[in-house]
Amino acid sequence: MDLTKEQKIRLYTNLVRVRKLDETMVKALLTGKISTFFHSGEGQEAVGVGACSFLREDDYLFPSHRGHAISKTLIKGLPARIILAEHYGRITGCCDGVSGFHTCDMKLGIPGMSGTLGGHFPLAVGMGLAAQLRGKKQVVMVIEGEGTYARGTFHESMIMAATWKLPNLFIVENNQIMGNTPVKIIHPKDDFADLGFGYGVPAKVVDGQDVFAVHKEVQTAIDRARADEGPSLIECKTYRIQPHAVGLPDTLLGRPRTQEEIEVWRKRDPIKLAQKRLLKEGVLTQVDIEKIDGGAANEMEEADRLAWADPMPTDPKEILKKALYAE
Amino acid sequence: MREIKFVQAIIEALEEEMTRDETVFIIGLNVQADPILTPVRLVEKFGTKRLREVPIAEPGILGCGVGAALAGYRPIVHSRFVDFFMPAADELFHKAAKWRYIHGGKVTIPVTFLAGIGGYLGGGGPEHSQCLEGYIMHTPGLKLAIPTTPYDLKGLLKTAIRDNNPTVVLYHRILVGAGTSGLVPEEEYTIPFGQADIKREGKDVTVVATGLMVFMTLQVADQLQEKGLDVEVLDPRTLEPLDIETILSSVKKTHRLVIVDEDTLRCSVGAEIGMQFMEKGFDYLDAPIKRVGAANSPIPGGFMECYALPQPQDIADAITEVLGIKESFQVKPLELLKPGRHMGERLGYGKKEN
Ligand SMILES: Cc1ncc(C[n+]2csc(CCOP(=O)(O)OP(=O)(O)O)c2C)c(N)n1
Repeated sequence: MDLTKEQKIRLYTNLVRVRKLDETMVKALLTGKISTFFHSGEGQEAVGVGACSFLREDDYLFPSHRGHAISKTLIKGLPARIILAEHYGRITGCCDGVSGFHTCDMKLGIPGMSGTLGGHFPLAVGMGLAAQLRGKKQVVMVIEGEGTYARGTFHESMIMAATWKLPNLFIVENNQIMGNTPVKIIHPKDDFADLGFGYGVPAKVVDGQDVFAVHKEVQTAIDRARADEGPSLIECKTYRIQPHAVGLPDTLLGRPRTQEEIEVWRKRDPIKLAQKRLLKEGVLTQVDIEKIDGGAANEMEEADRLAWADPMPTDPKEILKKALYAE
Repeated sequence: MREIKFVQAIIEALEEEMTRDETVFIIGLNVQADPILTPVRLVEKFGTKRLREVPIAEPGILGCGVGAALAGYRPIVHSRFVDFFMPAADELFHKAAKWRYIHGGKVTIPVTFLAGIGGYLGGGGPEHSQCLEGYIMHTPGLKLAIPTTPYDLKGLLKTAIRDNNPTVVLYHRILVGAGTSGLVPEEEYTIPFGQADIKREGKDVTVVATGLMVFMTLQVADQLQEKGLDVEVLDPRTLEPLDIETILSSVKKTHRLVIVDEDTLRCSVGAEIGMQFMEKGFDYLDAPIKRVGAANSPIPGGFMECYALPQPQDIADAITEVLGIKESFQVKPLELLKPGRHMGERLGYGKKEN
């Protein structure tokens, strides 16, 4: 089904919102407001935005650490203020300030974020099983960096999800670099989508810079899952613009990363690409674009201001006690 | 003797052992690419076959170490975060630890697992802040060292690599990150497992401390000295084998024992050392043993981290308690923990580094 004008604008606006929040968090890290780390997702926004903009609220979503999941969680409805508050250790954070940087909101179908990579896959299968049993046509989406698809947990999960025809979606956010290592030296094939074939799981490669292309492919997979036709695998080719985490040396195999490669990908910036298309289609004007930009900037500025002003927990020991065991 | 950094001691041990024995190689995430731990020079010297870069596949990585060891090599499996060994629990706690025993001692597994431990990084959260020496010490078949100075680290790591058994060597991430340094001889040396080291002599109380807790305790001890308390700080250096004799003879002198370990308190290294001591040295004690460790909870992330991890004040209070002193002496937070605006810097990956 073709996207309506409103839907296209929504995708574009979400790209801009994620970028502004990413910039806010980079700044927060460098000024010491965040005590842990921040893995900027600059340039990769189209993957999360394209995949998550039209999920149902009761669909489940396991997002990766890249951009601390904002291109997925913000889009699924988690307010920027709550994301920032968690990073600032505030009581208003999505985990009461206990997590440092993890994200969770069960009401929005976000069951959490793993510290060890690959932890999501089997849990997603479990949620897929629950969704199938419940029969409400919910889907379960996992979005991970390509490096994480080496984990055995992925392969174990594919076996189960494919055999039981579970409503699982596995999305590879392939930014081509794993930490300080180019992924091509540790993976035998060019396309991660190939991993689907052995399990009989339909798999596609899509341009991860093109939010509309990502959305189209993911929507097809979502429709299959809702029709009880089982899991899909979608690989989105993108590129990491920033170092693995902000403030770390930007090296590949011990040597500084070449700026040329980064520049090539900057030219294919997902926001620029979407802008060009929507201007050409007459969906947006230059004035609209400026308005969207200003709106997103205001949203994130206010979120940052409010989150920073939010209180620290007054009784941390009590909060930690409650976090450990349920009543 | 010359002064070198903690990370330099790791690199020297690796380089010397790889030069000495062609069957030694390193396998792990980022081993060709780690900006501080594996300088480009090392990769150029030994080649990418002996610094084996891997995908994110811990059971594969640790299992590869065990397998290559079975086939006569001496792999060193490295991870900056011991936490990431947990997905490979079968390979570490079963295959490495038990494979020889299962087969009546017919095979040897000379693999070394080298990993960073510990919190105080700014709140990496429950899966980026652990020590896990409790699990490892609990598992028969694994030898375990936690060196805390460049000297101990270099000597013990070299011994571990040469040992014909699976050996775990844990280093505290903060000690690498903060760039702590110490004196190390120019000439080659090794340190045998099973020999504790008295890091500070004292007569009033024995504090057995491991890992970063050695530093924390030394700093507390200096402050308590000003109050007239004379604290002996004993670093077991290896937990399997454990040099209980040196602990016994220290407490025979001081009559008081505090055990400080960063891992979760319940079923901890401290619990084991304390009980081993009780079975042999109860009569030396003038007061019950006190333990200091992390709260019986996961390590929370962000700014909450400090509520679970042991702090200098906890150590000071334990010492005064076993000495029967009612007053609490205020001590400073650990100085090593200050540098760095964010976790990357505390791990030693500041932009200026390398
Ligand atoms: C089990 C496990 N091993 C290693 C790590 C350390 N680690 C954190 S991020 C990262 C790179 C992840 O690469 P990828 O999945 O491609 O995602 P990207 O960072 O490129 O977005 C690694 C190795 C981890 N968190 N968990």
